[in-house]
Amino acid sequence: MDQNFKTNEGIRKMEIKYVPTICPYCGVGCGMNLVVKDDKVVGVEPWKRHPVNEGKLCPKGNFCYEIIHRDDRLTTPLIKENGEFREASWDEALDLVASKLQAYDPNEIGFFACARSPNENIYVNQKFARVVVGTQNIDHCARLCHGPTVAGLAASFGSGAMTNSYESFEHADLIFSIGANSLEAHPLVGRRLMRAKANGAYFIVADPRYTPTAKQSDQYVPFKTGTDVALMNAMMNVIISEGLEDKEFIEKRTKNYEELKELVSKYTPEMAAEITQVPADVIRDIAIKYAKADKAAIVYSLGITEHSHGVDNVQQTANLAMLTGNIGRLGTGVNPLRGQNNVQGACDMGALPSDYPGYQKVIDEDISERFTVTWECKDLVCTPGLKIPEMIESAAKGDLKVLYITGEDPVISDPDTNHVEEALNNLDFFVVQDIFMTDTAQFADVVLPAACWAEQEGTFTNGERRVQLIRKAVDPPGEAKVDWEIYGELAKRLGANPEAFNYSSAQDIFEEVRTVTPQYAGMNRERLERPEALHWPCPTEEHPGTAMMHVEKFAHPDGLGIFSPLEEQGPKEVPDEEYPLLLTTTRILFHYHAAMTRRADTLDREVPTGYVEINTEDAKELGIINNEKVKVKSRRGEIEIPARVTPDILKGIVNIPMHFRECSANVLTNASAIDPRSGMPEYKACAVSIAKMEGSK
Amino acid sequence: MSIEVNDKFYAKSSDAAIAEAGEYGGAVTTLLKYLLKAGIVDAVLAVESGADLYDAVPILIEDPEDVIKASGSLHFGTLNLAKVVERYLDGAQDMKLAVTVKGCDAMTMVELMKRERVNADNVIMIGLNCGGTMPPVKGRQMMEDFYEVDPDSVVKEEIAKGKLIVETEDGTEKEIPIDDLEEEGFGRRTNCRRCEVNIPKMADLACGNWGVIGPLAGKATFIEVNSPKGAEILEKAQEAGVIDLEAPIPKGIEIREKIDGAMVRLADKWQDKDWEDKTGREIFSVLSEYMDDFSRCLKCYGCREACPICYCDDCCLEANNGPDWLSKGEVPPSPMFHLERMLHMVESCTNCGQCEEVCPGEIPLAKIWHEVNAKIKDQFGYTKGVEEGKPPIAYFPFPQPASK
Repeated sequence: MDQNFKTNEGIRKMEIKYVPTICPYCGVGCGMNLVVKDDKVVGVEPWKRHPVNEGKLCPKGNFCYEIIHRDDRLTTPLIKENGEFREASWDEALDLVASKLQAYDPNEIGFFACARSPNENIYVNQKFARVVVGTQNIDHCARLCHGPTVAGLAASFGSGAMTNSYESFEHADLIFSIGANSLEAHPLVGRRLMRAKANGAYFIVADPRYTPTAKQSDQYVPFKTGTDVALMNAMMNVIISEGLEDKEFIEKRTKNYEELKELVSKYTPEMAAEITQVPADVIRDIAIKYAKADKAAIVYSLGITEHSHGVDNVQQTANLAMLTGNIGRLGTGVNPLRGQNNVQGACDMGALPSDYPGYQKVIDEDISERFTVTWECKDLVCTPGLKIPEMIESAAKGDLKVLYITGEDPVISDPDTNHVEEALNNLDFFVVQDIFMTDTAQFADVVLPAACWAEQEGTFTNGERRVQLIRKAVDPPGEAKVDWEIYGELAKRLGANPEAFNYSSAQDIFEEVRTVTPQYAGMNRERLERPEALHWPCPTEEHPGTAMMHVEKFAHPDGLGIFSPLEEQGPKEVPDEEYPLLLTTTRILFHYHAAMTRRADTLDREVPTGYVEINTEDAKELGIINNEKVKVKSRRGEIEIPARVTPDILKGIVNIPMHFRECSANVLTNASAIDPRSGMPEYKACAVSIAKMEGSK
Repeated sequence: MSIEVNDKFYAKSSDAAIAEAGEYGGAVTTLLKYLLKAGIVDAVLAVESGADLYDAVPILIEDPEDVIKASGSLHFGTLNLAKVVERYLDGAQDMKLAVTVKGCDAMTMVELMKRERVNADNVIMIGLNCGGTMPPVKGRQMMEDFYEVDPDSVVKEEIAKGKLIVETEDGTEKEIPIDDLEEEGFGRRTNCRRCEVNIPKMADLACGNWGVIGPLAGKATFIEVNSPKGAEILEKAQEAGVIDLEAPIPKGIEIREKIDGAMVRLADKWQDKDWEDKTGREIFSVLSEYMDDFSRCLKCYGCREACPICYCDDCCLEANNGPDWLSKGEVPPSPMFHLERMLHMVESCTNCGQCEEVCPGEIPLAKIWHEVNAKIKDQFGYTKGVEEGKPPIAYFPFPQPASK
């Protein structure tokens, strides 16, 4: 017996514990085990039993544990005095926040909810904003990723979510990927696509960049950024003129077809070729292949949505699918890949200025009335609140005076960073609740330390509408608290009905979520304990959940899908003599935004800073060589950044990953070109110039 | 009775209750419990079911009463416990540990001991015969598609006589030949199909149900003693009166060898199917065949993280300034990524399959490295996972001078 092993107290208690939970990064929602040893998370081990990813993870997932116990976690509330943060007690910080929330008109106060935190936190956040503060000014980052999906698919299908499950891809005969670089941005969906291909599916990728996903395609279709509507109109033109439309489906399940038909009739492949830079015969070819496939699935992501015509793009995918009857069957569907791990849930929970939980409309007086009864609160405002870009704009103008952000980092992730900073500086009072001192938190008056995903219970809803349990592995560091506890403390100070925020656990909150969110009504804890969990809609405890939507009818009251004829708008800001290149922005495999992944040592070693991708010919014309630091300039600002010279991007287009503050893509992007139907700014297109640094050879 | 290496027994728990409740007489449960109670080990590392019987989770047990949690076979458990010992238990450097091991766990443990990453003096390996394990999610699909049962209704699964037998809550049993399942792409993991080590003779004891015939059939465990350490603990357990041993029926020994022989032949068949050349082709020929597969690599480092032989704290694949032969942040990384990792681990590769199972790019990694390992065996005469010799590329095989 090894004597070292014995201590005075007897046998040292050893523990290694595998805690099954869900990855905190993207919307795929992979399962994983956190390995806990001596109250520390020391690793990630595969959870092979998990139906989404079968134990496989991407680099972000494999190394997510590296950030949990970092020394720079926020562990105590901070209050800014004379430009410097000082530590404060919870009482002092919360009293201060409460007094400010009380001192302003509710319309002058706004909230950004956190799409990275569990549903339970988000639910309490929106309830706090609406019930206690009395504002509808609550939004979250879906506005800046899949807001157009929520709006567009809701208009076309009656529900704004992915129609099929990830597994469904493996049954497809053809997959049309547009504006999605799944292998990098949603790697474990990328795997499904690879498996589909191995099963014989024909894989078409349309993208201005020859991405790792495009490199795995059977057919790569490069096209000009922001010309999606023209491309898909021409595809529909071909399908109709070849007589390949699904007449029965159109007749029985849709309306507005004649209007669509008329509009697309003028979008001949030849006409679209001029706009998109895709040769007419290629447009014909992919249109016919898509239409002829028995089961064709569309997959898209932010390449579709992050435009000033994002909703149009989204609805075009819906038009294509309905035109060919590719909805409601395995291997088909319109499949947007959601961004943040719980951005689907944040929408479901009603962290939207226009929607209560379950997409019940604020503008509907009966619904607002019902929530007043349920939440036992004073009258709720029936006018939708401000969206994120509107809140920023309003702050810049001086109308919005108090902003309370949980877990978002707009200084990195919102367009036109200088403008964002101006707006934040213009606030009377600014609260940030987060796990690290983010670039945004630096601007705050009060910073509240929050628990991270490994430190709490709750649920995340992934992009295929699967509501999954996350489990607590360790305690939060220092005095950090779970989000819902913090809102509860504030509610108490603001004189809210003590019963309304007196939750004992995340489970307790979820039980309330079920009562007000029809899609979640049938989900009890026992059912969610199974790794398969449940896809919404799941209206009753007997309902099996809905992996595939719109099987018999669409979610509109009359059960019909609606065709939307749409004209090509193109990007608002186009290249000109002064700014001759079109900038698109992207996310890379190794990072998810910044605050977390840049603090994961392995990921930081892999990609420590940003770069601008520029076509080999463009670089040659400008005399720029690979890795040379260059100046990129737009109408909003300029950055210095290393060049990555590559043939993998169309000539005339450049790309900058959005993660890196020191060479931030969003210093350049345009906040003023906004999709009128969703509030989405034009992240994926703005005009820039690139120049060599002064003094360089 | 003095127990010696190579002895074979039918064993069952002396405790009638355990003998009745535990699988095959509860011998393994009893042994592990005894090791803890007698203070021979500080902890037992075994496997328990997590969410359900498709979910295998390592469990570190200190309380003898908890051993029962780990009883019963889990054919959907595809862990490599040697990795857990090396990574999370400091290689048992300062704890006495008993570990339940399948063939791949046992071989990996031996390789890690040779590489001084696991302290051989502190580890007792209780070997469990293994005819292969099955991937959990695919396994559930197999239940639906082939057995036509609700996967959640399955209460027991067993591999016997070349069949996978499944019992559901209502007591019905269904069996399908493994061959038929595997023809359709289901059944065991592909690495398991190629595996020849069904009886882990590199473990201190090898335990299983093969060869238990006669009155004790289904009620006792066949135990083979493989090492002096194994002999010692079995003898102590017997002396302590916790385990009943009796000599196996000779015909049973024959049957056990026959079953093993059949499994080895099956593995041979799969090796023939998977590889062009049984002794492994020349390394670059192998690699060139898989370039398309490598092109799906997402540089997740999952293979490295899962590989028990990839234990370096500072990995040369991500050295701080980055090796010049491997660009950072490039997706897919150059094939050099895999070639470099291969050089470091392949001679000790036990075909445990962890790398392939976690690969999001669906690269058949275990198949590739297993073939290369076969070439190493052919070229250097080195067999991984057995006690003799050190890995020939990591260590020069200088003969040791005779000690005076």
